[in-house]
Amino acid sequence: MTVEEFRGSVGVSNEIDRFPIGMRVLAVDDDPTCLKLLDCLLRKCEYQVTTTNQARTALKMLRENLNRFDLVISDVHMPDMDGFKLLELVGLEMDLPVIMLSGNSDPKLVMKGITHGACDYLVKPVRLEELRNIWQHVIRRKVESKSQSKSNNNQEKPNHEGGQEAGSGDPNGKVNRKRKDEDEDFEDNGNEDDDPSTQKKPRVVWSIDLHRKFVAAVNQLGIEKAVPKRILDLMNVEGLTRENVASHLQKYRLYLKRISQQANMVVAFGGSKDVSSYMRMNSLDALGDFHSLSGSGRLPNAQLSSYSSSGMLGRLNSATGMTLHSLTAPTLIQPTHTQNLTGSVSSLNKFQPVVLPTPPNYQPTNLFQGIPTQFDLGQLQQNNKPNTQLPDFNPVDESRFFNGSSTFPTLGSQSCLNLVSSSSTFLDIPQSMGENFHDQLPPHSSLNYGHASSNNMITNTMTGFGSDITSAPSLPLEGQGQSQSQSQRHAQYGKQSYGQYSSNTFSTLAAAASPPNGGGLGGPVSQSNDQICGVYNKSNGNGPLPMQMNKQTHKSNTKLKMGSGENYLPSGFVANSYDSMDDLMNGMMKREQDPMIAMDGEFGFEPYSFGSCI
Amino acid sequence: MERNQMHTQVANTRKSLFDQGYLDDQFIQLEELQDSSNPNFVEEVVTLYYRDSARFLSNLDQALEKRPLDFSKLDNLMHQFKGSSTSIGAKKVKTECTHFRNYCSARNAEGCKRTFQNVKKEYTTLRKKLEAYFQMSRQVGPVETACQAR
Repeated sequence: MTVEEFRGSVGVSNEIDRFPIGMRVLAVDDDPTCLKLLDCLLRKCEYQVTTTNQARTALKMLRENLNRFDLVISDVHMPDMDGFKLLELVGLEMDLPVIMLSGNSDPKLVMKGITHGACDYLVKPVRLEELRNIWQHVIRRKVESKSQSKSNNNQEKPNHEGGQEAGSGDPNGKVNRKRKDEDEDFEDNGNEDDDPSTQKKPRVVWSIDLHRKFVAAVNQLGIEKAVPKRILDLMNVEGLTRENVASHLQKYRLYLKRISQQANMVVAFGGSKDVSSYMRMNSLDALGDFHSLSGSGRLPNAQLSSYSSSGMLGRLNSATGMTLHSLTAPTLIQPTHTQNLTGSVSSLNKFQPVVLPTPPNYQPTNLFQGIPTQFDLGQLQQNNKPNTQLPDFNPVDESRFFNGSSTFPTLGSQSCLNLVSSSSTFLDIPQSMGENFHDQLPPHSSLNYGHASSNNMITNTMTGFGSDITSAPSLPLEGQGQSQSQSQRHAQYGKQSYGQYSSNTFSTLAAAASPPNGGGLGGPVSQSNDQICGVYNKSNGNGPLPMQMNKQTHKSNTKLKMGSGENYLPSGFVANSYDSMDDLMNGMMKREQDPMIAMDGEFGFEPYSFGSCI
Repeated sequence: MERNQMHTQVANTRKSLFDQGYLDDQFIQLEELQDSSNPNFVEEVVTLYYRDSARFLSNLDQALEKRPLDFSKLDNLMHQFKGSSTSIGAKKVKTECTHFRNYCSARNAEGCKRTFQNVKKEYTTLRKKLEAYFQMSRQVGPVETACQAR
């Protein structure tokens, strides 16, 4: 980036052309003597200086106008706030270079400054010559972020492909890899200082709370009308930029899409009705229909999403609906540790809380087109023909995904759970199914059911969900005519696998899958390969799942923080990318075992079923 | 001539402050920052320093009265005071501050108290000298003072 470009990108300043002259510096130091001295020195360098002796005031000024300053210089020892904390906050929220200042040259402090993201550390008394050079940090940052965004674009693709191929590979590895990629991909999202990504970029961390606000705002505006600017206004969060919201929104949309797809798939799978673990799954009679549905071939991808809707929806209501439209709450998937199906059920319970709030205005109509608005099981059940159902779900078309979403609003967490359970049935789809699916699955679906073990895993994790997931992928296959076998398998596995998967998987799946699918599954099931992988990611990654999924499928993948394995609801949206069911399952299992790892950066929300989808 | 004498006097006073180790290069930095747009910069900064120091020293006094001594707090307070002193180039004061902090880390209460007295003494001395110096400079004229190189 040339200096000219940089100047152009610098905020409003009459002196842009003469950069570094006129660079806007904010100096923070509680010692008035030092502050005055610093002020004078900076003015000598012909910078535009603003001083304050309070860290809080400094933050306030920075948040008021993100473009007001180019650089921040801050003392380390301050009474109202630790200099390092201020450093972190500024880095995260504003992505501005921060220079630390201290009378202490202790290397430990210098190291601390570096790890917290300071771009320089000066020792008092500061000399004029040192200050004359600080403008380099501003330019460097701009250059870095520019090149990073470029590289991110390039990275996404390879990752995606890699994820899909990996399939049965090393789920953890994949998850990790994806996660890393995702981290790098996301520029807008919060990035921790010790993030493994190559460059530190302060990002907005989409905490659950923040995400909730976001979803609430989106719902309020209506998904079609939700534009970043208005969402931003509604959210009314300090330090959030329109760009942050825009990227999050993008991910969210992707997530919704995926969920709907997954839901279709899940529904399609219908699968074994004996999602024993999931009581709710009972309502999954429709699932049985899935078999037939799957035959329709429409199932693929889309089917999955419908799946959840059809059978489970009845019960799940919330599940599908939630994932789709509510996305807000990761209600769905609480990465519980359901060790077995039964366990998973309980995990499902956990999911409940997650239930995505159904925004009153949220009419993800476009989403679930395929999915019958009423994912009531009743409906589904009535339609014994999976085909009919499926078409309803329209899982095939991603765009139609969210028809069901309309129903979702009503779905409470319950539904989600239900879905989960249904999903579990899906997961039941034995690996064999997975294998089949594998072949049949659309190339982009990353569901690799190939791994028999994974099936189990999947089921375990998902407990109910898992099955769904498996089924989800199988849905497409079923469509291809395998439905029968699948359903059978489903039944077989239904129970067994669930046990295996800890709730984590489930949660992840659930998360991934999107609520309808019981969480993770829904997500991943989504047609896009990514989605599926996404779900799986969850299971594998313990956390990074959601993120990964997102990453793969969409740049914006919501990085759901799978965070605490237990509660991680792949709210975000597991669907991001399944490398394979295995991964998903693994992820889920792992998730259970490990505390949810917040997927760093992007979407920190844990319980969000939809985490990162935006 | 009187004026010249006064200039010389001011110059000498200033020089002695450096020679005697009351001030160091940082003070020169301050002087260099003083210019037409900032004619009284040095004095302003030093005045700020006095105000700050008064606060620090009284806090330190209070902290030293407590039993048992909170060394980390003392260290913190002294760190800040030392920072200020360094900023204006108060060399001797800074040195005593360092001693104080050393005793703090060694948790040597007696050492701390003793050193603190030294700190106060140095500070008081410096302040007096600086005040006299500035007064003299003002009489002579600020431009003259600023031009005086060490």
